[in-house]
Amino acid sequence: MLKRLSFAQTYLLLGVLLVISLVASAGIGAFSFTPAEMLRYLGQRLGWVPMTSADALGRSVFLTLRLPRVLLAGISGAVLGVSGTLMQGLFRNPIVEPGLVGTSAGAALGAALVFVLGGNTALAFTRPLGSLAVPVLAFLGAFGATMLVYRLSTSFGKVNVFTLLLAGIAVNAVASAGTGFLSYIAHDPQARNITFWNLGTFTTADWKGTEMVGLFFVLCFLWSLRYGKSLNALMLGENEAAFLGVNPQRLILQLLIVNTIMVAVDTSMVGVIAFVGLVIPHMLRMLKSSDYTFLLPASALFGAVLMEVIDIVARVIIPPAELPIGIITAVIGAPVFLWILLRERQRAGVGFYG
Amino acid sequence: MVEIRGVRYDVGDTRILGEVSTAFRPHRFNVILGPNGAGKSTLLRIATGLLHPTAGTVRYGDRPLAGLSALALARTRAVLSQHVELAFPLAVEDVVLMGRYPHYGRTATTLDREIVHRALQLVGMVPKRTQPYPTLSGGEQQKVQMARVLAQIWNYDDASEHKYLFLDEPTSSLDVHYQLHLLDTARELLRYNCTIVAILHDLNVAFQYGDSFFLLEGGRVVHEADCADEVPGDVIERVFQVSARRVSDPVNGSGLWRFSL
Repeated sequence: MLKRLSFAQTYLLLGVLLVISLVASAGIGAFSFTPAEMLRYLGQRLGWVPMTSADALGRSVFLTLRLPRVLLAGISGAVLGVSGTLMQGLFRNPIVEPGLVGTSAGAALGAALVFVLGGNTALAFTRPLGSLAVPVLAFLGAFGATMLVYRLSTSFGKVNVFTLLLAGIAVNAVASAGTGFLSYIAHDPQARNITFWNLGTFTTADWKGTEMVGLFFVLCFLWSLRYGKSLNALMLGENEAAFLGVNPQRLILQLLIVNTIMVAVDTSMVGVIAFVGLVIPHMLRMLKSSDYTFLLPASALFGAVLMEVIDIVARVIIPPAELPIGIITAVIGAPVFLWILLRERQRAGVGFYG
Repeated sequence: MVEIRGVRYDVGDTRILGEVSTAFRPHRFNVILGPNGAGKSTLLRIATGLLHPTAGTVRYGDRPLAGLSALALARTRAVLSQHVELAFPLAVEDVVLMGRYPHYGRTATTLDREIVHRALQLVGMVPKRTQPYPTLSGGEQQKVQMARVLAQIWNYDDASEHKYLFLDEPTSSLDVHYQLHLLDTARELLRYNCTIVAILHDLNVAFQYGDSFFLLEGGRVVHEADCADEVPGDVIERVFQVSARRVSDPVNGSGLWRFSL
């Protein structure tokens, strides 16, 4: 069905879905809002509609809690979708995602360092960074981990994908052990924070964090759009890409940097959310096309849609409590992934998507 | 013309290629011959700009290869490799369009699309243009790759510059029909201001399609010939360590080699 549409029409369809899911996600929850109420609160905030004291509580909940959360969820979904697309293109392998190459675990370790040791003298240098300490250390951790995986798997100037995957497993294990150690020595409230945040959550969303994640996402996304053609060429292999005028080594480095910035900043706000980066490009490839000039914008839109749906589920499934996002993405994502894998294996010999 | 001047290539202390100085003839089908490990692939990779020689220079016409930008080079020369696999199901025409990537920015022009179509026509793959590349047979995939490299160096007007096509064992995995089809298609290109350099393993196919021959042994060019008949049997016997006997085709009288150990 989607195959008949042009790329532009597909973006439009995904855009409509995004608006619907945003409105639904903003409306559903412990407090529910009708679209009319949402518009009124927004109008009041912007000064177009006179404020009424009867609206005060609803307005406050909607504007300071619900709205930043909904936006943060959407942006996070877009980040993970684009990141999964970039990483799968880089490794020419459809099972890669940011969690696999150490990016997420490294970011988590960096942020956990600030959570647990931030108040200590040992990490006093983080104080001047203020609220930026978490994202900055998350970036350093993510970049360090990803760079280490990249270095370990590079020989004679070429990246060996298999070594890279194995190195990713090792670096992930070390980073997780580090985070685990930190949560072990942490005082109880901090430890709980880390555990919860290792599974991903949007409950801590505020405007400041949402704005920062949004800013970095927009910059990295616009930057990544330049690599659509190069990623396509890289599908042919590093040498063939070089024959088409792409410098594969430089491309790999640039992809790693843009991906790490995006994922680290997002992970420092919402924690580690697995499988979204894996499933988004998978589904878009099956439904439409493997062309990266299409996948990059489409995975941003579709990632946002999917994350809104997942966040709605997280909020309504066990009220009044909330499920960590990572649990839902793993529970939904892993079976979907296995199903795709099995289905595609039946059409043996024709690659992952036949 | 592709001029190789004093080219050497070392990996650590091992000399892969030792002082090669030769020139691939313009407007001709140049064939690099030699046993495994003679340095054929290394020479081709240096000539395409993929590898940088330890010493020496490569020139395309009067332009040194080292002075060309990656993009300028990609608009001038194309390389067809042995076998290209795709992990993702890109449509045939999208694969061929990659050949035009060095020529356009964000979006392909109608000229680019037209060239893709003409290249697909030339290899007879227009009917399968919307099929996913991984579903094709090995022979069809190689036709698509041929169309891609053709699109990359397509000369769409008579006054256009000289182009270079390199073939790195392009027919190794193909059956005889696809082999001949691919080499015929390549030869077509010679009429459009192009130089071809190929590594071929089948000596008889090489002598049937080639114009100039470069025999490599131990990282050196040991014999050059501008006609298939000028490649002496004793050189072939020594370089490939076989005994070679020349027989003639009963129909058209052309020479064929029979090899035995």
